[in-house]
Amino acid sequence: MTRHGRLLGLLLLTVLTMIACDQPVQQAETTGESPLGLLSGEEDLDGYARVTGPRDVDFPADHGAHPAYRHEWWYVTGNLHAEDGRRFGYQLTFFRFNLAPGMEQRPAALATNQVWMAHLALTDADGARFLHEERLARGAAGLAGAQVEPFRVWLEDWRLQGGSGEDPTPFQLRAATDDFGLSLALGAEKPLVLQGDRGYSQKGDDPGNASFYYSWTRLATRGEIRLDGEALAVTGDSWMDREWGTSTLTEEQQGWDWFSIQLDDGRDIMFYHLRLADGGIEPRSKGLLVEADGSYRLLDLDAVELQALRHWDSPEGNARYPVAWRMRIPGEQLELQLEALLDDQELRNGFRYWEGAIDVRGEVAGQAVQGHGYAELTGYVTSD
Amino acid sequence: MSRLLVRAGWRYFRARPWQLGLSLLGVALGVAVVIAVELANQSAARAFTLSSQALTGEATHQVHAGPSGLSVDWYVELRREHGLRDLAPVVEGTVESPLAPGRSLRLLGVDPLAEGGMRPALDALRGGDGLGGLLADPSAIWLLAEDLDRLGLGVGDSLPIEVHGEERQLSIAGALTPYRALDREGLRDVLIMDIAAAQELLGRGDRLDRVDLRVDDAGALSGIQSLLPADAQLLPADQRQATLQDMTSAFRINLTAFSLLALLVGAFLIYNTMSFSVVQRRTLLGQLRAIGSTRRDILRLVLTEAALIGFAGTVIGLLLGIALAQVMLDLVSRTINDLYFVLSVRSVSVSPVMLGTALLLGPVVSMLAAAVPAVEATRIPPRAVLSASEAEGVTRARMPRQQAAGLCLLAASGLVLLLPTSGLMPAFLALFLLILGAALLVPTLIALLMRPLAIVCGVVFGLPGRMAARGVRAGLSRTGIAAAALTVAVSAIIGVGAMVDSFRSTFGDWLERTLQSDLYVSVPGDRHLEPELAAELRQLDEVAQSTSALETRVADGDQRYQLRVFDLEASVERAFGVLQQGSDELDGWASGDGVLVTEPFANRHGLSPDQRLKLKTPEGERAFPVLAVVQDYGSSEGAVIMARSLYERLWDDGRIGSVGLRRAEGVSAKSLEAAVRATVGDRQAVRLRSGETLRELSLQVFDRTFTITHVLRLLATLVAVVGILSALTALALERAREHAVLRAVGLTPAQLWRLVTLQNGLIGLTAGLLALPLGVAMSAILTQVINQRAFGWSLSLHVAPGLLLEAVLLALAAGLLAGLYPAWRASRQSPAVALREEAL
Repeated sequence: MTRHGRLLGLLLLTVLTMIACDQPVQQAETTGESPLGLLSGEEDLDGYARVTGPRDVDFPADHGAHPAYRHEWWYVTGNLHAEDGRRFGYQLTFFRFNLAPGMEQRPAALATNQVWMAHLALTDADGARFLHEERLARGAAGLAGAQVEPFRVWLEDWRLQGGSGEDPTPFQLRAATDDFGLSLALGAEKPLVLQGDRGYSQKGDDPGNASFYYSWTRLATRGEIRLDGEALAVTGDSWMDREWGTSTLTEEQQGWDWFSIQLDDGRDIMFYHLRLADGGIEPRSKGLLVEADGSYRLLDLDAVELQALRHWDSPEGNARYPVAWRMRIPGEQLELQLEALLDDQELRNGFRYWEGAIDVRGEVAGQAVQGHGYAELTGYVTSD
Repeated sequence: MSRLLVRAGWRYFRARPWQLGLSLLGVALGVAVVIAVELANQSAARAFTLSSQALTGEATHQVHAGPSGLSVDWYVELRREHGLRDLAPVVEGTVESPLAPGRSLRLLGVDPLAEGGMRPALDALRGGDGLGGLLADPSAIWLLAEDLDRLGLGVGDSLPIEVHGEERQLSIAGALTPYRALDREGLRDVLIMDIAAAQELLGRGDRLDRVDLRVDDAGALSGIQSLLPADAQLLPADQRQATLQDMTSAFRINLTAFSLLALLVGAFLIYNTMSFSVVQRRTLLGQLRAIGSTRRDILRLVLTEAALIGFAGTVIGLLLGIALAQVMLDLVSRTINDLYFVLSVRSVSVSPVMLGTALLLGPVVSMLAAAVPAVEATRIPPRAVLSASEAEGVTRARMPRQQAAGLCLLAASGLVLLLPTSGLMPAFLALFLLILGAALLVPTLIALLMRPLAIVCGVVFGLPGRMAARGVRAGLSRTGIAAAALTVAVSAIIGVGAMVDSFRSTFGDWLERTLQSDLYVSVPGDRHLEPELAAELRQLDEVAQSTSALETRVADGDQRYQLRVFDLEASVERAFGVLQQGSDELDGWASGDGVLVTEPFANRHGLSPDQRLKLKTPEGERAFPVLAVVQDYGSSEGAVIMARSLYERLWDDGRIGSVGLRRAEGVSAKSLEAAVRATVGDRQAVRLRSGETLRELSLQVFDRTFTITHVLRLLATLVAVVGILSALTALALERAREHAVLRAVGLTPAQLWRLVTLQNGLIGLTAGLLALPLGVAMSAILTQVINQRAFGWSLSLHVAPGLLLEAVLLALAAGLLAGLYPAWRASRQSPAVALREEAL
């Protein structure tokens, strides 16, 4: 599975190039090479732990951090409705990076090789605005981190917490910027699902080119959004991905289109296309369908037809994203239209990507079906 | 002014290149010293501002740690529980490197991820692949690319440093190339480190030195205020910068005043040259008047000549000064480093405004100095053919007026000293009035001194002796001013020398009293002794008496004071020199009834015994009675001295900086040291120093600090020697005819040589003798008034007889040296030729 491997690489890039936009000269002089070059295959992964094959899950420990691996995240997205019918999408992601494996034991509490990054975003469909903020902190002295008993992952005052034990749900999510805030409770409606082969999500031929990946595909969500000085009660569905690993992508892999879909017939779908530089799709691209009862099965590349219908140009330039699609899964008799809730859901930090809420409507065996979900589009920025 | 006048003036000076050259040199040197000092001062101030700005960055406020420090946990809580964002924690210190001898390098520990643009130059730390190395490698540093070039190092190399007496290798992980000029200058000699690595290197434990904030509204500010640890302090970011600047201002004023002394001597030279030229040209000026030149023309001629000499001298002086400034800058920054804070200045910045001012000032000062001779020149009647002897008559007739003016200035100086002010400027005004007054009296006093000297010389040298002494009297119109300049210069040597001596001996006495222990145990740098170890050391059988000390910082409102915490076994009176005592018993200090303050502290904050001093403690603000003011030369900023028992009651802080141990009877220094080493073992890396070593080290630092004073003194002397050289040379050359007559009437060349030399020696000697009382008076003002006001230190005046003797010998040597060439020339020239030349 590569969605996150790639994202990871790109996000790691974010950490590395954060200020590149402000000070291009400085950047060039300090690294002496293009930031992309840093991650292009040749990099030294010595010293990091690697995900090399399926293994038994170890809950609750696996809900916490795996600092020996290069990267890891807790990725929450969701669609929410206010009582007055206003539509919202949100994202809160905690990323962890190990920047230097094998750091010696050191006396200072602030000493660490772990860097944390969090992205918080809110899509206000009726207000036609997309708000987002990025934060970074060192993973030391309690500034940012993850713990297991009880479950808690945080970066400064942004946090996601839950209970103890193998199943940490329900979660409480709390994060705010100067412009908006979220305070949500997330209860699992289905148990978590292990992606790939029992969680082992391979993305390349080398067994180490893989990550460990599991998801909660439907979390009933209730809480409050603070926006423009008012508090709005909201309800909806969220989705949470957990992934950790070490390898980055191959050079041919350019970016991906990733979708999470929650249908009102109780089914959830995850599917992604890994786009290759030559215009093709990586054969390892795949997905997963979760039934209303929580049972799930893999969807391989050929099982899903995906076609972009409409594109949107970023006002920032150099990027043209698809924002409407047709998705057909003949084996499931599914025919769906996906459309961005708002065209502009591009996160413009040091590294630009599109992560946004989508509306879903279509038919299951001729019966009308609706739903919502999230799409993640990376690798569309041509050059800066 | 007619062409005739211009040409007359030109011819006069062209015929006397020596005289012109020497007065130019005098002015140039005077101006050079002023310019150099001013440039050095300005460059130091500018470097300080730049470095503060670069290091403070965009921060609007700073939280400074109290004695209990700012814990990392407190900082994390601000971010995690209170959602505060614009905070950047800082750990700061200094290290030395063998690759940068004589300079301290500042070490700045920051969290690159928390900076958030606080210091824009450091944004680069987060870019590139350096972040991982910076975080994970405890020896990784970044520094300016320019600094790297200067050190001859590159990224990947290691930089050897010494910190806490230990050698360490830091690895250069990156080079900063800030795009703001401010940062390129302000970050010089700054090593940037990750905050955790800086904590480890500097032994901070999990404490922060300060937290920089960006806050824009008062509400947020008071919110933060309410979260502060009780003894921490929230200050506007520029406040500390201003306080530090303030501290050095007295030092800089002192330097400027000393440099003005050199200019004053320069002005004397102009006065001298112009008076001399007027006296010499009486006939010419009289003829000019007779053929139609007005008084105004003559006035203009003399003033223009002065202005031109002044201008030319200033231009040369500016160039010299800029060259000299680099030397001065090193000295100034060294002193600032020793006395106040670490400052890195390498380049002299020349401001056009200052150069313009100097170019204007030089000619103006010259014209002012030439005012009296110029007016004199206008009084020459048309066709006057006054002889020099008649001119002497005029000079002597003017003497009563000069004497009166001199006495008035002296009286004024005394009055200014009596003014009830603690200002530094009035003190310097008094000093300059004293110098001017004394200078005006010099010719009169020389005339008076010549009577007895004529007798003495007559006895010793016979007729030539008497002739020499009388000759000096007769030539006072031409020699008086040169002698006055020499007197001023020599008195400056005595004054400044006695000041430094007084300072050094007072400082030495104080060290003797303060460093009473035989052995001091400390941990190098700002690390602390383990309290248990300290207690064990103090209880050793070999130890008769012991003390423990800790130095920290404590807040009061927006002020930050140095706090010294002592646990003494000796009494307060024995440990400190008590200057003023309140009504309470000093015994109460040990049990915490109050605090002591050092003299500079009392002066700076207007405190006296029995008043109360407010300090921020973990229990909130507390007022402590001041029990006594004690002598201290450790810092010009001053300090509060508190007993350990009181400190520990208020602050939960058992840290100990150093322990002083006194040998028990019959224990040798060696066995004490051995016992200490055995107890310490490898529990902690400690440094042992004997009281003697510490005293020596302190005196070394002291001498280094005052190098600049010595240099300035030397320069003033140099100006004066040039002055006397110019005056005496001119005088002797002027007397060529007189000498020829003497030769013609039978004096041998050797006799004539002796006569001229004797005369010059007499001038030097009398100038030197007259410099004695003036020098002592100057040193009294310098030590008792100026130092007290500038640094808050009272010094006991200490004038070494050797210094006085040296000064007189120097004046004598200057006089003799100045007379060598004219005497040689006079004795060599054929009388007939000289007479014929004169007759033409």
